[in-house]
Amino acid sequence: MDSDPIIRVRSLTKSYGSLQAVGGIDFEIRAGEVFGLLGPNGAGKTTTVEILEGLRPRTSGEVFVLGFDPATESTRLKDQIGVCLQSTNLPDKIRVMEAMELFASFHSRNVHIADLLRRLQLWEQRRQYYSTLSGGQKQRLVLAMALLNDPQVLFLDEPTAGLDPQARREIHSLISELRTEKRTILLTTHYIEEAEKLCDQVAILDGGLIISSGTPQEIQNRTLGRSVVEIRCETPLPDGDLPHWPDSDAASFNADRTHLSVATSHPARTLVEIVRWIDQHGVELEDVRLKRPSLEDVFLELTGRSLRE
Amino acid sequence: MKPYLALIKIDLKLAYRQPVVIFFTYLFPLVFFFGFAELLRVKQGGTISYVVSMVLVLGILGNGLFGAGMRTVQERDNNILRRFRVAPITPTPLLVASTFTGWLIYMPAVLLILLLAHFIYEMPAPDSTMSLLVLVSLGVMSFRAIGLIVASVVNSMQESNIIINLLYLPMLLLSGATFPITLLPEAAQYVAQFVPASYLVTGFQGIFLRGESLVDIWPSVVALGITFVVGLFLSRQLFRWDKEEKIRAAGKLWVLAVLAPFFLLGSYHIYSREHMKKAETLWRSLQRSEKLLIRDARIFTGDGRVIESGAVLIENGKIGRVYEDETPDPEHLNARVIEASGKTLLPGLIDMHVHLAAPGGSYSEPPRTASPEKAMGRALASYLYCGITAVKSVGDPLGMSLSLREEVSRAERLGAELFACGPLFTTPGGHGTEYLKNLPAPWRDIAEKELLRLPGDPEEARRQVRELKQAGANGIKAVLETGQAGMLFERMDTAVLRAIAEQARSEELPLVVHTGSAADIADALDAGAEGIEHGTYRETIPDELLARMAKRRTAYSPTLSVIEALSELAARSDRLLGRTLVQQVGPRGLLDGTREGLLTGGLPERVARVENWARALDLAKENLRRAYEAGVPLVVGSDAGNPLVIHGPTVHRELQLWVEAGIPPRIALQAATHNAAILLRAEQRIGSIRPGNDADLLLVDGNPLEDISATERISLVLFKGERVRRSALFQQE
Repeated sequence: MDSDPIIRVRSLTKSYGSLQAVGGIDFEIRAGEVFGLLGPNGAGKTTTVEILEGLRPRTSGEVFVLGFDPATESTRLKDQIGVCLQSTNLPDKIRVMEAMELFASFHSRNVHIADLLRRLQLWEQRRQYYSTLSGGQKQRLVLAMALLNDPQVLFLDEPTAGLDPQARREIHSLISELRTEKRTILLTTHYIEEAEKLCDQVAILDGGLIISSGTPQEIQNRTLGRSVVEIRCETPLPDGDLPHWPDSDAASFNADRTHLSVATSHPARTLVEIVRWIDQHGVELEDVRLKRPSLEDVFLELTGRSLRE
Repeated sequence: MKPYLALIKIDLKLAYRQPVVIFFTYLFPLVFFFGFAELLRVKQGGTISYVVSMVLVLGILGNGLFGAGMRTVQERDNNILRRFRVAPITPTPLLVASTFTGWLIYMPAVLLILLLAHFIYEMPAPDSTMSLLVLVSLGVMSFRAIGLIVASVVNSMQESNIIINLLYLPMLLLSGATFPITLLPEAAQYVAQFVPASYLVTGFQGIFLRGESLVDIWPSVVALGITFVVGLFLSRQLFRWDKEEKIRAAGKLWVLAVLAPFFLLGSYHIYSREHMKKAETLWRSLQRSEKLLIRDARIFTGDGRVIESGAVLIENGKIGRVYEDETPDPEHLNARVIEASGKTLLPGLIDMHVHLAAPGGSYSEPPRTASPEKAMGRALASYLYCGITAVKSVGDPLGMSLSLREEVSRAERLGAELFACGPLFTTPGGHGTEYLKNLPAPWRDIAEKELLRLPGDPEEARRQVRELKQAGANGIKAVLETGQAGMLFERMDTAVLRAIAEQARSEELPLVVHTGSAADIADALDAGAEGIEHGTYRETIPDELLARMAKRRTAYSPTLSVIEALSELAARSDRLLGRTLVQQVGPRGLLDGTREGLLTGGLPERVARVENWARALDLAKENLRRAYEAGVPLVVGSDAGNPLVIHGPTVHRELQLWVEAGIPPRIALQAATHNAAILLRAEQRIGSIRPGNDADLLLVDGNPLEDISATERISLVLFKGERVRRSALFQQE
């Protein structure tokens, strides 16, 4: 049975003077879903999220989060949600524990702070000043603070921006954990892998409009995106032209003819053909890889621009 | 409530983890405190309270503008407020906690400064410690509100730096926090009226130096309160969590809204000059608290004793100690030394018979801005100029006298201390009424009401005495006078006089009676007068009456000067106008006009009709000498205000006439000091040099005990401990 949406957005617009940051978008997020808002900088992700969090007034449209209208009931809403904003700070000389206790005092309901710190691997750091924490620790603290009130809805705005790969992996596993706890999460990111890896539903935002939405899989399938078959051999493949495999583009080699890659719209069939052909030439296969089209490719295809532009 | 407490707790912790907060809150004021204290050599007097006021204001300014203002901007710029924004709170707890914490952190600094001032520099505790602490608190909170408003309207650290310094520097320089407003150029003094901090400065100084409470400075308290409330409210309305949100240029004008109460207050004070006057009087109080040591002086103590070489210590406006045989060490006492060898130190002189509103002559062309108030104020300044530190007015407009008396006692005006009888009691057609005869009818009614009491019966007399007491008079003056051929008066009924005397006694007001004849003196004594004014210059006072006066300790004020003046007038002599002190006190127009009238004009009726003034003076001197020999307590009065009886210098002339009459200088000087104070019922405070008395002192070159004219060679006049700048006395409004 489909549950009622936890977050509902209808015809949402937001203008700053003559500039339209959000141009009329609709989406719904259901309980327990991880919803990804994906798009390049300036696409309207942060504006949309901040409207939902009750931090910004909207220009028009309807928004409900947990049954509250964020524009008029922001304090009650903030009490029940968890928010990680981009690039927030705390005073240098506040200790981890003090920050947790301070922000706990603002909420009407709190989880056990020590447990939360242990879970986010900050227990050892509880007496440390904020300024002495590493980037990953700071981000975990921000996440911990967002979880203080045991929120059913979490807004994570670029939670891994600027972190090193190790720290990013930690945050990813935390989000996965939160997902298993059936919390509803709205995640904005411009890291495509993050969305692919973490999200149940994705909406791609560009220029204030949703240009595509669905599960990552659906989006991929909906686009013309092609998979790439990559083959590595132990010895060079024979000289001469390669055959033209069905549904595929012309293949390409590397300089010593040990690597072969072919773009195709039917990867399974193409792969079988290529393997058969290599086998016929008595060359030993070292590795076979199939690269699916990424959201990056999808975005490129939808907009003609790269996500990171 | 929970967020408030949590925020206050964390704000406190964060503050104490910042070395810069510790430095600016606790160490910085100490540096200023000790720096100013040593620079101003505060050990020499109550100046320490001035230093404390300065340091408190500096602290409040720093705490408010930098502590609250800069910190908020910094937290916004560093994206700290962004984090608070997603919490379910409004800006109110943040602002309230910031204000409260600022106050809490500052109070220990206040206590520290007060304790140091008390134990190291012997600052006396203020009368109202509560008022002091409340004013400090109000100051901190309102200046933090101003800081928060600044934070609300700036878009960057840079902007806030500029605006905060734009507020801070003028407040530092123009508020009196660094140097006294009174010493600034006049234009700067006007500007200072709009500077909120200047009300803190005068507020603190008022509490320290004049024992004021919050009630006395309520307009400043209200202005600070409004600033606090408005500032906090506006900074809540204009609060921005995110540095990305910018405020429009016009929004910056909100700063002005917070300062609005001070625009009003400043405009009012520029109009009323009240606050400038107050700054001036505070500066005066400060000077009066200087510690002085007058040493190697001959000291005439006022009550008859002479110390041939001694020293007097003056502290906090009082005589601290009189040294007779020992030589005190000024270093040890921390006192400024006044070398007085070859000089004689006397208690400030007291004139027991003056009419301040009467000019002492006539102008050929009265100054356009002339008014009785101005004339009376100037007369008081003339007295002080001449070393007369107290006068008794025995017939002057009551309201003006009382308000002048207040101004002098509040140190708003520099002049002799005034004891006022207000109007004099006489009878319809009696002496006193003749001065009003020639006035136009409506003026006469007003003048009569202010200057005279004409009781028709004993009951009315009692009521009028009671009313004067309630109004605040210091004594009662009545007239018993028949005049003589050519100038006759109705004489007050003795039953009325007795009623006046009885009521005055029960109201504890000393009654003095103007007399013209021996019979008048007898009736006045019968009624129970405490002082006889003039006595008589028409006949010899019988021994029996003198004996009664001596026995009952009735004071006698012969006012020889006015008799001399009348005889000079009759002789058309301008000799009295040429005396040095008279030439100094002027005013010029009065001296010239009087001389001109004297040489060319007609003589007053009274002068013209009585024949032998020279004989009258001789008789008066003779009566004085006999009164002295009979042991009658004597007091000095000049009757200044009459033609040629100039306010101030005449007291010295009176003393000379006494010595001419055969009175030893010591007795004459005692009559002008201690005896006068007794009749004023103020001998516990003035009229003699003894510890605890007001430091009203006259230092003269030479020895008036040998040569009475030495009293005119004035070296220094001290009034309530203040070394009077005599040359500036007549510059007062």
